Amino acid sequence: MPHERSLEHPIIWAGVIAATLGSIVLLNQLAWLALPLILAVVFYYLVQPFLIHLQHAGILPGQALAIFLVAVTILCGVAALTVLPAMLNSLAQFQANLPETMTRLSQIAAEFLRAAEDRFPMAKRVGLAAGLEARLDFFAMGKGTQFAGAAALFAFKWLPSLLLVPFLTFFFLRDGAAFHRLVMRAVPNAFFEKTLLLFDRMDRQMRAYFKGMFWLTVLDTVTLGAGLWLLGLGQGIFTLTQAMVLGLICAVFAWVPYVGTAVGGLVAVCVCALQAPHSPQLLLAVVMLFLGVRLLDEFLYTPATVGRALHMHPLVTVMMIFAGGMLGGVYGLLLAMPLLGIFTVLGQMFGEIWFDPRLRARHTARNLLEKRLASNDLDL
Amino acid sequence: MNFGSFLRPPPLDPKLKVVGATAIFQNCTRQELETLQPYLHERHYLAGEIVFDEGEVGEGVYIVISGKFSASRKGVLKKKRLGEIYPGECFGEIALLQATPRLATVVAAEPSVALAMFRPELERLAEARPRLGFKVAIEVARLVAQRIRGLIEGATEPLILS
Repeated sequence: MPHERSLEHPIIWAGVIAATLGSIVLLNQLAWLALPLILAVVFYYLVQPFLIHLQHAGILPGQALAIFLVAVTILCGVAALTVLPAMLNSLAQFQANLPETMTRLSQIAAEFLRAAEDRFPMAKRVGLAAGLEARLDFFAMGKGTQFAGAAALFAFKWLPSLLLVPFLTFFFLRDGAAFHRLVMRAVPNAFFEKTLLLFDRMDRQMRAYFKGMFWLTVLDTVTLGAGLWLLGLGQGIFTLTQAMVLGLICAVFAWVPYVGTAVGGLVAVCVCALQAPHSPQLLLAVVMLFLGVRLLDEFLYTPATVGRALHMHPLVTVMMIFAGGMLGGVYGLLLAMPLLGIFTVLGQMFGEIWFDPRLRARHTARNLLEKRLASNDLDL
Repeated sequence: MNFGSFLRPPPLDPKLKVVGATAIFQNCTRQELETLQPYLHERHYLAGEIVFDEGEVGEGVYIVISGKFSASRKGVLKKKRLGEIYPGECFGEIALLQATPRLATVVAAEPSVALAMFRPELERLAEARPRLGFKVAIEVARLVAQRIRGLIEGATEPLILS
């Protein structure tokens, strides 16, 4: 049977890896278009279950989409009137306080390192505290505000691209089926059923991946949020809501494999350091919490959510993530897994079609029939 | 001015009319047929073109809209003709229930058009519209049962049991 062996062919494997890495490079080059497209696809897969639930209640697909749009518009309106002003206010306050916050953070870090230097002479020889102080002087000199300004400019640059996201999502949801049928029309009859199967497998793969990522984020948020809340309980650092928000931010950072957890952990440590500057035990406990969650992610959460969805060997996964990161930076790290999943299915199906001599013969026969029909009345 | 014409729904797509006349979809309402439309893939076949081969794993059912298809099975010495399939009839319906090897080879006997419905898409439709999914599945089961009975009683060959 060519079906099971199709992916074992070295050409197919090489093609899958080359296509994944090539796509990462291409998407990195066309980031302004790739970002909204990817986000729209993510939203499409996240919104679709709600629409199916609505249809389950007897509502027609078009009406379900309309109900969802009205609900989202109302929610956005309410958020714009209530949460947004508070958020903008907090953001302005954050920008104003940034240099001072960074100075405090650098002081805390330097104090911590000096204490470490006192205990471990080797660290003193390296000059950890002095090095950090010199690097963080950048913010202490007040240049942090420039940094915040640059960040605001960066966000403004991405705004038009991000505005495309709701439009793209809407059209994906509304015309997805019609577009799918249009693409299928172009497929030759001989390959039609196999190609439909390919699309279905790809769709299931993507759905499973995004569903897995959603549940992984929920699990990470709850675990980190509960952990941070419990750790800060004695010193009254966080309310449960604040802890959960911080947990959510860190869980979102964790979407970027390996690097994301470290960045999320650093953010949480910084927040705790600012809230309780003289409690190194707390900082250590937060680091331990992040390490614990990382282990839980690796051995329990990811295999139960995303890992099970993609059926990837861990070695292939790690290699592709690193190669993706090298070629496409953060994009590459984020996209390596889903792209590898898609191209694996594509490669598998291409192999099944390409290595099936009967299908190719049927396609050739159709072409001959077409040619004969076209030249029927010609005196050749 | 005739206000009645504003209230009257637009005429049903002629292809959907044919779909509604087939055994599998005969109990579907107009609205349900329109819901099915995005799941039906139109395929055009030339005379002599193979739709599917005997032994190939089936993924969906075909509803004949126009033209004519003929079904055959491999015999001991030569192909055994099972019969012809005309507009308003369907073939390959078992594949809507299970991915099993096709029991016959179907070839377009003349230039023909068929609408194909794919099993995973029916499953997805049934997820969103369980009542419609149930209706289609039960009619497929009835049709298959009817053909098996016919086969046992010797009245029909397993013409479209594929």
